[in-house]
Amino acid sequence: MNTVSVQNVSMRFGDFTAVDDVSFTVADGEFVTLLGPSGCGKTTLLNVVSGFLQPSAGKIEIGGVDVTFVPPEKRDTAMCFQSYALFPHLSVAENLQFGLKQKRLPAAERKQRLNDVAEKLDLVAQLEKLPNQLSGGQQQRVALGRALTMRPSVVLFDEPLSNLDAKLRESVRLEIRKIQADYNLAAIYVTHDQGEALAMSDRILIMRNGKIEQSGTPTEIYNFPQTSFVADFIGDANILDATIIGQESEDFWRVSTEIGELLVKSDTPPIAKRLKICWRPENAQFGAGEMNSIEAPITHRAFQGNYTDLFIEMNGVAQRVQWRRSHLEDITSLSMNIRPEDIIFLEAMT
Amino acid sequence: MKRWLKISLLLMPGLGLILIFIGSVVYIAIAQSFGYFNLSGESGFSLEYWAKMFDRLSYSRAIGYSLYIGVASAFLAVIFAYPLAIWLRRPFAGSLFISAVLKAPLLVHGLVVAFLYINIISYNGIVNQLLQALGIWDGPHRLQNDSGAVGVLILQTWKNMPFALLLLSGAVQAIGDDLLDAAADLGAGPFDRFRRVIAPLAVSATQAALVIVFVGALADFSFQVIAGPINKQSLSQLMVFFKGYGRWHDAAVIAVTLMGLGIAGSGVLALFSRFVLRGGRLS
Repeated sequence: MNTVSVQNVSMRFGDFTAVDDVSFTVADGEFVTLLGPSGCGKTTLLNVVSGFLQPSAGKIEIGGVDVTFVPPEKRDTAMCFQSYALFPHLSVAENLQFGLKQKRLPAAERKQRLNDVAEKLDLVAQLEKLPNQLSGGQQQRVALGRALTMRPSVVLFDEPLSNLDAKLRESVRLEIRKIQADYNLAAIYVTHDQGEALAMSDRILIMRNGKIEQSGTPTEIYNFPQTSFVADFIGDANILDATIIGQESEDFWRVSTEIGELLVKSDTPPIAKRLKICWRPENAQFGAGEMNSIEAPITHRAFQGNYTDLFIEMNGVAQRVQWRRSHLEDITSLSMNIRPEDIIFLEAMT
Repeated sequence: MKRWLKISLLLMPGLGLILIFIGSVVYIAIAQSFGYFNLSGESGFSLEYWAKMFDRLSYSRAIGYSLYIGVASAFLAVIFAYPLAIWLRRPFAGSLFISAVLKAPLLVHGLVVAFLYINIISYNGIVNQLLQALGIWDGPHRLQNDSGAVGVLILQTWKNMPFALLLLSGAVQAIGDDLLDAAADLGAGPFDRFRRVIAPLAVSATQAALVIVFVGALADFSFQVIAGPINKQSLSQLMVFFKGYGRWHDAAVIAVTLMGLGIAGSGVLALFSRFVLRGGRLS
């Protein structure tokens, strides 16, 4: 069953359209991520779902009930804020019970929910502390716990990990995902971090200029981007302008690009004669191959730890290749090939 | 130069002035209330002036009346200022103009306001004329110098509310939108957001507003003389009365009483407001 249903929602501020006719659903227990660059409308859309903003057009349903014009305090949602938004004058225990007191739950039930969440989030030792006495990770857990004690139908996350360091971010995101699954909550998660989106989501909605550019599972989005924006935003991609020369066999297409002719294997036919194509830097096969062989000088390199980024140039076009070997000092040119199935057709060229 | 000497010299212009001017005035008032600094006779320690003052009915009445004016003015100013501070928290078209207009009373002297006020409410003033024209009253009513001191309270509130607004606006604006959004998200409506988030976080500004308005209104003289009830005297009025007759020791007793009430009343108000706004806790 769908917990959240967003139907043709638009949000305009004067002449500016922040969210443009967006529709999607989130099922029980599903973790959906709104991913996109700053200013793409993802936080605005989250604020519309939470009730902080009323949409200019469209409809929001939660649990089958139209809540489009229901104020946030009356919606069955709970939000984890980017800044955590912990009440600085209240202890951790009081923060966790804020919503429960608002709901006028009996003291015994409040205590039971508090203990449950505190134990799950390892906050038992911090209950009497004030928020400013906690580390960033602990504050984040209190913010999450405060939302979870409410046992909402849907939990909303507004870039909750952006203030944490990289190591902590990784551990907290696993924690969030585990707790969301334990409680079987529908979750909408806003982030601009593609790694976070890929690691946590059941489904990703990529937003651009207020619209959903593409939606799908993390593997679908990564392996089969439909536009150069998605290909570039999720992971690294070498994007080329291409012209279809002809069809070699059922799924094989020959294209002409700035770096030479390439053979592309695609289940779906190209949508135009002139279009964009892409290939991922990590899909380069080293050494000359039977098809799509490339030999080019290395212009510069960047050691990244477990791999090295090599930048090659062909006909004035720079391409990026990732190589798993770290000792590459003696190499000045690269011989490689790209498998036809690793090249993806994107949108038509305008 | 030694560190302590450098610090003392740096503090001298500010702290020195306070210690010299306020300290000497307080010292002389206290000493005079106990018989010292007699301007027309022998000086010496005496509790006579305090004892006689405690026996006077006018003294205890003036204490009660001044406390009433001080406390009521402080609460009225804060009660009127709070909704305005919350309303003006986020800028909107015209908010700057409204904010400036609301603070205009700070630029008008209290005496001028008091004269304007009694003109408006006088026996043949525009309030009387308007209410008669509307058919609400058959004839003119006497509104000036009312025995409940409503006129003084109106003037005190009008004059002090912008100051309270100034203090509260800063505190309310410092509360992030995300905190109020979080409270709303957790089920708190507008009143609960005020009660559970805004009020506890703005408690220091509220205390400051209450205390400053209270101390000023407690020692009010000008509003009381012009618009106050004629059958009641404030402590300031009583002090000026004694001073007018050259009874400096009696006047000093009133001055020390005012200072004592100011300090004690401020403490009580500060604790009371913290207790109430923090939901029954002082810490």
